[in-house]
Amino acid sequence: MIGSGPIIIGQACEFDYSGSQACKALKEEGYFTILVNSNPATIMTDPGLADVTYIEPLTVEIVEKIIKKERPDAILPTLGGQTGLNLAYFLMKEGILKKYGVESIGASVDAISRAEDRLLFKKAMQEIGIDMPKSGIARSTEEGMRIGLEIGFPLILRPAYCLGGAGGATVYNKQELEKFLEKGLSVSPVHQVLVEQSVLGWKEIEFEVIRDSADNVVIITSMENVDPMGIHTGDSMVVAPAQTLTAQEYNEFVDLSRKIIRKVGVTGGGANIQFGQNPDNGKIVIIEVNPRLSRSSALASKATGFPIARVATKLAVGLTLPEVINQITGKTSSFFEPTVDYCVFKICRFTFEKFPQAERVLNTSMKAVGEAMSIGRNFKEALQKGIRSIEISRFGFGCDSKDSITDQLLKNPGPLLLQQIKDKIRVPNDERIFYLRYAIKAGLSIDEIYSLSKIDRWFLDNMKQLVELEEKIKAARATSRDAEPEISVDVLREAKENGFSDRQLAYLLNSKEDVVRQIRKKQNIKAAYKLVDTCAGEIDAEKPYFYSTYETKDESRASNKKKVVILGGGPNRIGQGIEFDYCCCHASYALKEENIESVMVNCNPETVSTDYDTSTRLYFEPLTLEDVLNIIELEKPIGVIVQFGGQTPLNLAVSLRKAGVHILGTSAENIDIAEDRERFKRMLQKLNLLQPDNGTAFTFEEAKGVARRIGYPVLVRPSYVLGGRAMEIVYDETTLEKFITEAAKVSGDHPILIDKFLEDAIEVDVDLLGDGERFVVGGIMEHIEEAGIHSGDSAMSLPTFTLSADILNKIREAACKMAKELNVVGLMNVQFAVKDDKAYVLEVNPRASRTVPFVSKVIGVPLAKLATKVMLGKTLEELKFTKEIIPTHFAVKESVFPFNRFPGVDIILGPEMKSTGEVMGIDADFGLAYIKSQIAAGQNLPRKGNVFISVRDKDKRTVIFIAKKLHELGFRLYATEGTADALSKNGIPVKILVKIAEGRPNVLDLMKDGKIQLVINTPSGRIPRQDEVKIRSQVILHNIPYVTTISAAQATVNGIEILLKKDLKIKSLQEYHRSAARKTKG
Amino acid sequence: MNAILMLQDGKIFSGKTTGPIKEVIGEVILNTAVVGYQEMATDPANRGKILVLTYPLVGNYGINPKFNESPQWQLSGLVVKETSRIISNWQAKTSLEDFAKKQDALILHKVDTRSLAVYLRHKGEMLGIIAGLSSDPKALLAKIDTYRKSQTRDLIRATSTAKSSYLGSNRARQKIAILDLGVTTDLLAQLQSLGAGIFILPHTATAKEITKTKAGGLIISNGPENDVSLEKIAETIRPLLGAIPILGISTGLHVLALAMGAKISRMKLGHHGINYPVAHPGSFKAEITVQNHSFVVDSDSLDKIKNVKAVGYHLNDRTIEEVANNKLRCMGIQYYPQSPGKGQVHSVLKRFMHQCATK
Repeated sequence: MIGSGPIIIGQACEFDYSGSQACKALKEEGYFTILVNSNPATIMTDPGLADVTYIEPLTVEIVEKIIKKERPDAILPTLGGQTGLNLAYFLMKEGILKKYGVESIGASVDAISRAEDRLLFKKAMQEIGIDMPKSGIARSTEEGMRIGLEIGFPLILRPAYCLGGAGGATVYNKQELEKFLEKGLSVSPVHQVLVEQSVLGWKEIEFEVIRDSADNVVIITSMENVDPMGIHTGDSMVVAPAQTLTAQEYNEFVDLSRKIIRKVGVTGGGANIQFGQNPDNGKIVIIEVNPRLSRSSALASKATGFPIARVATKLAVGLTLPEVINQITGKTSSFFEPTVDYCVFKICRFTFEKFPQAERVLNTSMKAVGEAMSIGRNFKEALQKGIRSIEISRFGFGCDSKDSITDQLLKNPGPLLLQQIKDKIRVPNDERIFYLRYAIKAGLSIDEIYSLSKIDRWFLDNMKQLVELEEKIKAARATSRDAEPEISVDVLREAKENGFSDRQLAYLLNSKEDVVRQIRKKQNIKAAYKLVDTCAGEIDAEKPYFYSTYETKDESRASNKKKVVILGGGPNRIGQGIEFDYCCCHASYALKEENIESVMVNCNPETVSTDYDTSTRLYFEPLTLEDVLNIIELEKPIGVIVQFGGQTPLNLAVSLRKAGVHILGTSAENIDIAEDRERFKRMLQKLNLLQPDNGTAFTFEEAKGVARRIGYPVLVRPSYVLGGRAMEIVYDETTLEKFITEAAKVSGDHPILIDKFLEDAIEVDVDLLGDGERFVVGGIMEHIEEAGIHSGDSAMSLPTFTLSADILNKIREAACKMAKELNVVGLMNVQFAVKDDKAYVLEVNPRASRTVPFVSKVIGVPLAKLATKVMLGKTLEELKFTKEIIPTHFAVKESVFPFNRFPGVDIILGPEMKSTGEVMGIDADFGLAYIKSQIAAGQNLPRKGNVFISVRDKDKRTVIFIAKKLHELGFRLYATEGTADALSKNGIPVKILVKIAEGRPNVLDLMKDGKIQLVINTPSGRIPRQDEVKIRSQVILHNIPYVTTISAAQATVNGIEILLKKDLKIKSLQEYHRSAARKTKG
Repeated sequence: MNAILMLQDGKIFSGKTTGPIKEVIGEVILNTAVVGYQEMATDPANRGKILVLTYPLVGNYGINPKFNESPQWQLSGLVVKETSRIISNWQAKTSLEDFAKKQDALILHKVDTRSLAVYLRHKGEMLGIIAGLSSDPKALLAKIDTYRKSQTRDLIRATSTAKSSYLGSNRARQKIAILDLGVTTDLLAQLQSLGAGIFILPHTATAKEITKTKAGGLIISNGPENDVSLEKIAETIRPLLGAIPILGISTGLHVLALAMGAKISRMKLGHHGINYPVAHPGSFKAEITVQNHSFVVDSDSLDKIKNVKAVGYHLNDRTIEEVANNKLRCMGIQYYPQSPGKGQVHSVLKRFMHQCATK
């Protein structure tokens, strides 16, 4: 089995979900399974899920080694996303599968080619008489220009074998066509770009289909994109099932889907089929087919209850659909088309705020980093639940006090405002949903909005109904915030049936959330829970999951047994992703082992935690106080776990405690000490621990005072934020002022935190487990990049590779002291900065950290599982985890970045987290582990060729050694004037390149021509020089390996040296753990 | 207007009517399909029923007369969660509500149809009455009771054609006869697309009248189940068994089975939807079918009949979905032979037409 590697835009934890299901499905059938995936944060790479687990880079070279060693009978490439599929394709092309007699199952190589190769696909579709948009394949820019001009603008460009529409674009003129052709050709691994007639504004309809070896085909569900063609489906709002198709049209799509899956030749697996449909005459064109598990298949699974990955895997090994049981009903066969009695809504989470230079528009290149799914009995309810599920501090379709344009303004919109609204609904963007509301409120007709947005009138009218209902609710507005609003039971019920949250109602009624809740309860308007059961209630399902709605009858199945509620992490975002879902799943597994029921609450359809069989009961719900309290009141758990889902549940901790909910593990009070700067500072003083000098400020004046006192540079950030949001290193007062005006917006009532920034310090992460009495270090990780780069973006090594035993002891001691003081029950993460043999405490988080899965995999101890048991009252002694395990092998975690999705964004790292995912390299020593981590992260490190070096003055001294090594290894060096000067003075031969503005050929030309194999470029300052930015964006465009910190450059060059001397070896996780266990015993 | 649906056992579900209230009584059945409300509402087999749609959002794509399965609204009542106030499809001519209004038909909406579906799953399909909110429950129960006792179940008389007609070219290569118990537009369209000439005969047609058409085969169409006339129609066709190829569709299969001497029995919860799996003994290949029936051919009684085999069964509850008697050249399907796609013909119809052509 090939996993999908790191989480990137377009390929997220849905493949961990499908991979885990596949592992389990194969085991059930008695197969011996070998898994390779470079992503340590996955459930699928837990030893035990597969028989042999390799956390190794996903390259042809490495996978061939695994095949050679393990000699599998078959390869299952359909669960690892585009990565898995491409890898299998290249293994086939290079004759490796044939050489070792490995059969590709799930999707044959022919089937993959027919779906992925645009020419073959086109031919196949023609043969079965299915129309495609007019198109041609371009292998060169010239060819592309010819095809494009023949078809006419607008055009869509799709690079072949690219994931999530990477490099794709919609172009409107000759210049754009040329520009994006070049880009597309360079990103396509086979250098092909499909130039296609644009069907912009058509309906986008998807079907999920499964077929077995006996030619049985079932349709899992239809889906309709609320955002029409022109926006990547991964960025679109989507409903399931389709809402605006007639029975005859639906039937026709079903017929085409069956024909297509047969023609493509999937003989034991699933496919996602995307169609475009002209809304004016019903004409259908096929857009694309993915003959594998996908984001859409995960969504379809969660939307219907039908576990596509599990079933597809069983089909891949030859079972037929009638033979596979539907585990949700527990009594019917999988040869059955699921049907639903609710409306499913998917909405995406974007992170444009992380990339302010990026253009805030949506197109055919996917930009969303996560998604949430909501379920309601009508579209309006699902829409509102969906919006509050994506955790952008919105509580529904507007009217939650967060609207950027007030009702007052909208009543009488001026021409400028009107134009702004029109633009925002015409050009797709992440805020469009709210602008649709503004448009309705500003009096635009449904037809007008339709002609601007091409969003189907049915969806628009539903939104309009919400706006009308909003007015109806407002009529009962209380005169003062203390007076109880007099809202009629009927209106209140209607509001809840249409998804209005108590927060929205409180705003509309000029009241408070808890008051609304009380009124509701008094009127007996309570959430009822309904089932996702695959069959619309026709069969009594054994293992359904639940969603809330406001209906007459509650079908929940809360038992009287002992149970614990686990709050999940919600949609993926930068800073909170799969690592936290991994921990939540482990909480469930631990509860099962302890014979306690687990109740999972989450709304992220990509995850393992929202799989039907992960927990005893699953509630597919937004993670807001209202929704969570409803479940807690119903389930009456012995406690709630908030430690594992990242910041989302942690933010609810205080309110939950106020509502009388018992929080398991470290107390909410102690969590607050760690989060509150002043209290934390006092604690450190008490414990006699070092902290970089710091202060807090509410205004610029206060901030200025603090900064002057502690001295520049300072690290500034708003409190209570995630992933270093809006965190910055500031070197002077002017920048400080600018920052404060921006940050104040981010943090609301919370102050700004100012720390002395320790330049050139080594950053260290510690994960620790405590039972309140005993505290054991899980792992101490040394960052490769120096302090100042967000820990989520840094590469790090476990064990450490430069720190002395003395400093390590100081770190251990300090961590345990703090854990004891905070009476930690469960997990805790500490970040230290080491400078001049002193360890400064940067941050303490009494919760599961991003590194927990990484550490767990490296030391072979499931920390999150143990932490759960500790929270339930077990001691570490009972759990036999009493001593820190220092591995004898090395593991390096490296981060993966989404820069290729955000053209124009500078790729330098800083205190604000930007990475979407991680990989792990594991080997006998640090150098090997590091190089593996780089290869796994997609850095195609060269063994020979040319290196371009350009560093800031500060780094010139260090770069000499690096350059010298490169020279010795046979690389040719290019540099800009300043750097070249430093190198030549030290006797290193180097070619000087002219500044970009000063002539050609400059470095950009060399990169374009493929003459640069590695770029070492450290940024010169906070505001980078234009040249640097151009160089760095060229690097992304041409996929050239690069490093932007001097420490990473050092590690990289060491790695290249190793690469030249040694052949990379592979070793399974189980082997590492076995030899570690032997050593411990010995 | 506020209204209720009261079931035969007294259970009440509340909702609102889209138009004026009138009291209607009928068999309450579910349908789990996500689309197809117009087809279901005009399907003659649904005549007199109170149809509950489990999919909550209904009317989204409006109505176009060309999708009618028969010229009129056949239901006593349609029960849904939410009717769409907007219609959005390029083919939509009118809204579901307007269509119902014109046909003087009743729609009860804002009903917790999920609860109703689960209730019927537990208790089985039964009669129900839609009435005003303030109706006296006892009186309503009495009305249901009276209806139940006096129910003559004589619906085919209304869904069948009154007089014979011929559809298609006189020079059609192949001619077949349909005994019309409530034939659907879809069936006729498929047969026509095969180029067949079609005699449409009323359900009262005699064996002689059928033979007189010289049709190469006879199709007994679908229509209301459990009807008083079924036994009689079975009598009519019994002498034709073996004389010409016969295909019974859904209720038509019941007639065929009765003619061959089998029994028909009632299911607790019928099959009404577009997602039912039908498997065939000895084959891994199965198919997804459209079904709409609350009665089935009794399997024990079928086993006792010579030469007849159940060749298709519902994968989950093992009810009989397809019957064949090769010797007598008869076949019957419990499911709908719905067109698999634009201009295409269901394989069963093709098979039957082929059988009719081979002597």
